[in-house]
Formats: sequence, C-alpha cells, structure tokens
Amino acid sequence: MPTLIAIDPFNRIEGDLRIEIEVEENTVHSAKSSGIMFRGFERIMSGRSPLDALVITPRICGICSGSHGVAAAKALAVAQGAEMPDNGFYMKNLILGIEVVMSHLSHFYLLFAPDLTNKRYSNLSTYDTVKHRFTAMSGSSVVLALKARQSALEIMGLVGGKWPNSLAIHPSGTTSTMNLSTLTRAIGILKEFHDFLEKRFLGCPLNEWLDIDSFDKLLKWKGNNTHSDSDLGLFLTMCLDAGLDRIGKGPNRYISYGAYDLPNGTTWLPAGYFDGRMHPFDQALIKEHIGSSFFRDAVEARHPLDGVTTPLADKSGAYSWAKAPRYDGKTIEVGPLARMIIADDPLLTDMMRQMDSSVMTRMFARLREMCRLTNEMSGWLEKINPSEPFYVSPSSRFSSNGIGLTEAARGSLGHWMKISSNLIDNYQVVTPSAWNMSPRDENGQPGPVEQALAGIHVADVNDPVEVNHIIRSFDPCMSCTVH
Amino acid sequence: MHNLLWLQGASCGGDTISFLNSEQPSALSSFDVLNINLLWHPFLSREQGDAVLNIFESILAGRTKLDILILEGAIPNGPDNTGKFFMFHNRPFREWLADFCKHAGMVMAVGTCAAFGGVVTGHENINEMSGLQFLHNQKSGLLGADYVSKNGLPVVNVPGCPSHPDWIVETMTAVLKGWLKMEDLDEFHRPKVFFSKLAHHGCPRNEYYEFKASAIRYSQQGCLFEFLGCKGTLCESDCNERLWLGRTGSCTRGGFPCIACTSPLFPDRQRPYFSTRKIGDVPVTLPLDVPKAWFVGISGMSKLACPERLKKNAVSSKWIS
Repeated sequence: MPTLIAIDPFNRIEGDLRIEIEVEENTVHSAKSSGIMFRGFERIMSGRSPLDALVITPRICGICSGSHGVAAAKALAVAQGAEMPDNGFYMKNLILGIEVVMSHLSHFYLLFAPDLTNKRYSNLSTYDTVKHRFTAMSGSSVVLALKARQSALEIMGLVGGKWPNSLAIHPSGTTSTMNLSTLTRAIGILKEFHDFLEKRFLGCPLNEWLDIDSFDKLLKWKGNNTHSDSDLGLFLTMCLDAGLDRIGKGPNRYISYGAYDLPNGTTWLPAGYFDGRMHPFDQALIKEHIGSSFFRDAVEARHPLDGVTTPLADKSGAYSWAKAPRYDGKTIEVGPLARMIIADDPLLTDMMRQMDSSVMTRMFARLREMCRLTNEMSGWLEKINPSEPFYVSPSSRFSSNGIGLTEAARGSLGHWMKISSNLIDNYQVVTPSAWNMSPRDENGQPGPVEQALAGIHVADVNDPVEVNHIIRSFDPCMSCTVH
Repeated sequence: MHNLLWLQGASCGGDTISFLNSEQPSALSSFDVLNINLLWHPFLSREQGDAVLNIFESILAGRTKLDILILEGAIPNGPDNTGKFFMFHNRPFREWLADFCKHAGMVMAVGTCAAFGGVVTGHENINEMSGLQFLHNQKSGLLGADYVSKNGLPVVNVPGCPSHPDWIVETMTAVLKGWLKMEDLDEFHRPKVFFSKLAHHGCPRNEYYEFKASAIRYSQQGCLFEFLGCKGTLCESDCNERLWLGRTGSCTRGGFPCIACTSPLFPDRQRPYFSTRKIGDVPVTLPLDVPKAWFVGISGMSKLACPERLKKNAVSSKWIS
C-alpha cells in the first residue's frame, strides 16, 4: 500500500505550497502540488484605469515586482500604441536584470543551498565545507552573498527609485533619469558585484567562466584548486557526488517569451518553443485549465484574454488555487533552463545532451544566466546617454487590448488586458510558477513538478531531501502563482 | 533571548525582501544584536512540513514563549467569511493567527496589508481581506478594537508597500528595549517616529514645489504634485529623508509620484495615481494641514515669483542652468 506523505508547509520558497507524495517502497508514485491561498488580484483589476496596472500588478510579487511592472507596461504600450526612447529600453533592462540577478543569487544561497547541508550527505568529502558555507541564515557564504546583494541593489535605487514596487517603468519610457553622478556610481556598484562573483562565487574572472562552452571544459575548469574551492566549484562537486545530475527530469518542452527588448526591435534573450526542435512561440496556443483548481467556469480551459477567475473553495476534486497553463495542451517548463536552451547557450546545450534535464542542469542554467546577465548589464549601463530623452508622452487613449510578455527570474510571465471604454474590462496574469507548479488539467495530466517527482527514489521517507532538491530547483514562487 | 515568529498571510513576500535590504544592522545581524531567536520564518528557515507544526504546537501549548509575532500580508477572510481562501494545514490561517496572538508578548503588522488590508482590499474588498487589527481606517480587522498583546500594547502597525527595512528593525528595537509606549503610536497605531513626517519632507523637488514649477510629463525635474499625481504632501512617512536601498533613492527621486502606500486607505483612495485631480485649478490633494485659502493665495504668489532657472529646469529632464 502506498503511503501518503504531505510536506505542508513546503517553505523556503516564495509563498505557500503544500506537496503531497504517494510513496511505496521508497518510490514516489505520484505527487500533488497545491497553491493553498487565493489572493484575487485579477478581480481587483476590473473597472480600473489601465495605468493602474503599473501600481497594482507589481504587488503580486515581492521578489519579482519589476517583472510584473515590465509585463504591465508592455501590455499598456500595445494598448496605447506607445513607443519608448532608447534610454528607456536600457533602463528597463537594468531594472529587470538586477531583479533577476538578485533573485537567482538569493535563490542559490538562501533557498536552495541549505538543503545541501542535510545530514544525508555527511559521508561526502565536501560535507564540512558545505555546512560551513551554506547553513541556512548563518553559513559564511550566505552572509557574504546577502551583503553583496544589499550593496548591488543600490543600483536599483539609482535606476528605479525604490524596490520592491518601483513605478519607474512606463509604457513610453522611464520616469527615472540618470546623470553623470548616478551613472558613475552605478558602474562602480556593478563592478563591486562582479568582484564578488569572481572572488567568492567563481574563483576566476567572469569572462573565463562565460567562455566555458562544454561540460568537459567545465570539469576541466574544476580541476584548478581555486576554481573547485569557489562556491560554484564546491556546488559542482556536490552535484556530481550527490547525484543531482540524475534526478528532477522535467517535461523537456520549454518556452521562453523572450526578454530584454532592445531599441533595434530584437531581444537579448530570444523567444521560442523547444520540444527537441526549435519552433516559433505563439501566445495564441496558451490556455489555462481549471480541472483541478478551485475555480468555477462553464468551460474547462480558456485563452488568458478571455480568462475567468471565479473562486470556488469547495470544488470537489480540486486541490490548488493555481490554474494550470498548457501550451497547445501540453505541460511546459519555463525558467532559466528554458531560456538558456532557447538562447542556445553552448554550455547548457551541451549539459542537456550529456545529462538531460535534472536538478543540476536547472541550477546551472540559473547560475549561468546570473553571470551572463551581470556581464550584459555593464553594456546596457554604458549605452545610457543622459543627454537623450528617457520618456516621451504617450497617447491617453487605449484603443486596443494589451498583451505584455516578458521573462521574470522564474520564467515566462504574461499579462493579458482587455480594455473597453478606456477602462480595464478583464485582466489575466499567467505567472512562471503557474506553468511549473501547476496541478493536473482536466485531462488528468500532472504539472511539470508533479511529473518530475513521479518515479523518483527517496532514501528516507521521513526526510525526502530528493523532493526538496527537485522542487527548489524550479524556484517556485507561489505568491505569484496564486495571484 | 527573545523568540520571534514571522508569518505570511495573503502576502507577496515583499516585506521580507525589503527587510533583507536592511543595512545597519543587516537583517541577519539584527537578530544577533537584538538577541532574537528566530523560531521560524517561511522564507529563511530550514524547517519545513511537520517540523514547522511542532514549533507551532509548542508555542500554542505554552512550552515555547512567543515574544514577538510579526505578520506580513493580509488576512484572508473569504469566501463568505469562512477563511477558506487560505487553509494552512486544513485549518483557516486566520484561526492559527488568532491563537498565536493570544500567546504573543508583542504583535507587529509589517507592511500595509498586515496593518490595514492593503492592496488586496482593492475593488471594494471583493476578496474579503483585512489587516490584523484594522481594515482600512477602522478597527475592524481580525483581532478587533480591544485586542492588546501580553505586554499591553495593541498591534503595532509598520505599513508601507513594502515597509522600509529601517522601520521594521527600529520598531523591533523599540519594542524589545521596552521603549515603545502607547503615546508613541498614532491613531492608526503606527510609530509616530516614522509616520508623523510626510514623504514630501526632504524631497529634492521641494524648491519646485515652493514656486509651483511643475513637471508636465515624467522624467522632468519639476514638482510632480500639480499635474502628475504626487501624494507626497499627504503621505505619512519619512521616505525622502530616510531614502531607500543604501540611501540611493525614493519614489520621487525615481521620478514617479508618491502614491501614499503607508495610508490605511491604500490602494483605492489614492486614485488617480498618475494625474492630479483638481477642482478648478486647485488640486484636491492639498498638503494635510495647510488651509485651502492660504494654499491658493500662496501658490498664486509663488508662481509669479518663480525664477526663470526653475521654470526651465522644471520641464527638462536634465539640468539646464
């Protein structure tokens, strides 16, 4: 007989999650991922002025408020036909970029790494060092990373005024501007963060690490003592010793909406749908299902523009306040791994070839992106020209519906806005963790994390650390999910 | 040692993220220097699942002393006042919370949601949310008007969306040192030391404000009050004196209007956010304690007296002369 094990609360993530696994002879048969709260943001939006989206929607999430701001501003830009001056693009990318880098950094040190100190690993040669550096809230590296985070966030003050919940990003530019002093200071702060990454996290120059383009070269890189002694080197050793390259296989279908728009009409990270082959991404193929979700509707699945959010707490068979987004009816993984695959990052593409999707590839994709983005931000900062405009006046008429798609730290984020008579008629948000942490759809198809947990072996059912690694490798944000 | 339990209701986690931005002391050092033993925090703590339940039960059984309870996020009361919008271990979260409050030496509501209901009470509170002791400006939150914690104080509200890390750490300090008395709180139970100022104080646009030299679109240097919706003259907070993120910024320094997020009536009473509502030529959002007739008179005079330098710079995104 399978035993039902609930991990409730499953915390040290953003928001509130309940995980239920059915285990028989140390094998997980099936899993349920439940968002256990309803917040009701979509209902707050209807009847409001469209610009209110810039104020209300960032407050969906404390860790990715800027990403919601970007999605809302993009949706509004479509609805208003607004255009942005060049400086606006770079400022927006900096706000989004800093937020994503800080999120990845906090995820690694505060949320993910403490599980590596689990007593399960006490026989590994790295255990004492791992415990010294990564113990929750007190590890030597955790403390340094928090300090580096706090210093780096000063750039956010310079480009965004305050954070979380900056209102600097508008459809037609940024309200904030930069001058000689703030630009110089921001360049200095970013350099300091580069130094942290090089000294503590990588143990080598950032460029040297970014030049690694295959798994073999990564292993060779680790052969150097300074490298293997860095936090990333230590993590690499630990991943291989603990078998994190062998658990956590996702659905192997990936989406990126593309992000970091540039003035020439391209994006720094490309959009796409990858299922073994690359396809163009088409938002019309998204539907949100509510078969296992606490919502009432006459139909089981709708495109977000026509989405309906009517809570039904007593719905029988339902187990989550998250809807279940599907792409062309299929489950999809979103997040840094999806973005690195779709951006054809050579290291991650090679790691996927050699070891498939796993806790390790997912984590390395996130950390790879953190380094690539840090590097890219220096370039954006250099491109800001204080003599040129940051903002232009937009039209006050909203003449069409708005769709705003971007990439938050945790993956693809979309805002769909239906407008009538210059007011919001319907507003629907599909968040990254709604994709990854979704419950079953009406066809009984489990969500990506539910799939990733099914079939795994857990050595100790009373302390299933494998489950912790797999779930946290997706970096769930349940606050977003149950918006 | 003071035991602290930090819980999140209908929350975005933003107050925790803001708390982690704390500088001196840093968030983690603040626990050390204040002699705080963190019983559990949902974002930071190692314990999960049953281990958390054990901590909770030990508090409720009186085996573990609860010196400070911090709540971030609103309290879900819906649907139809059942509390089922947030079931924590098969029990409405608000029931857990009410029990903890009976045991708590001191209760702090961090962020506008926990204090007054906040952003999730938008749209006439269709989602049935409330703060701990208040719903908006009324004492009709979860605990009711008469609640006091074991040390005799009502819930101490530290609003802001998010709350400033200093406000959180300094309130913890005042509470634990026994400095905070009833007379230190305003009518909405906010520490006066932070919330008797206005966001307007210390705003670098103050000279523009004095001469009514106003920005007419965002990114310009002029005052945001006359046309662009700024509520800094109404918002009770010391944001522009204290500044955010390593003292690098604030809302108006980022070029966008203050939306008075520390107010009990946030988010609906502040609309429109991005333009200034007026009757005739007079903004309805006059400074809190300035009589209207005087305001109109002084504004007319100061506009006439406005130096050319200010007139030009007010509508420019860069310094002209």
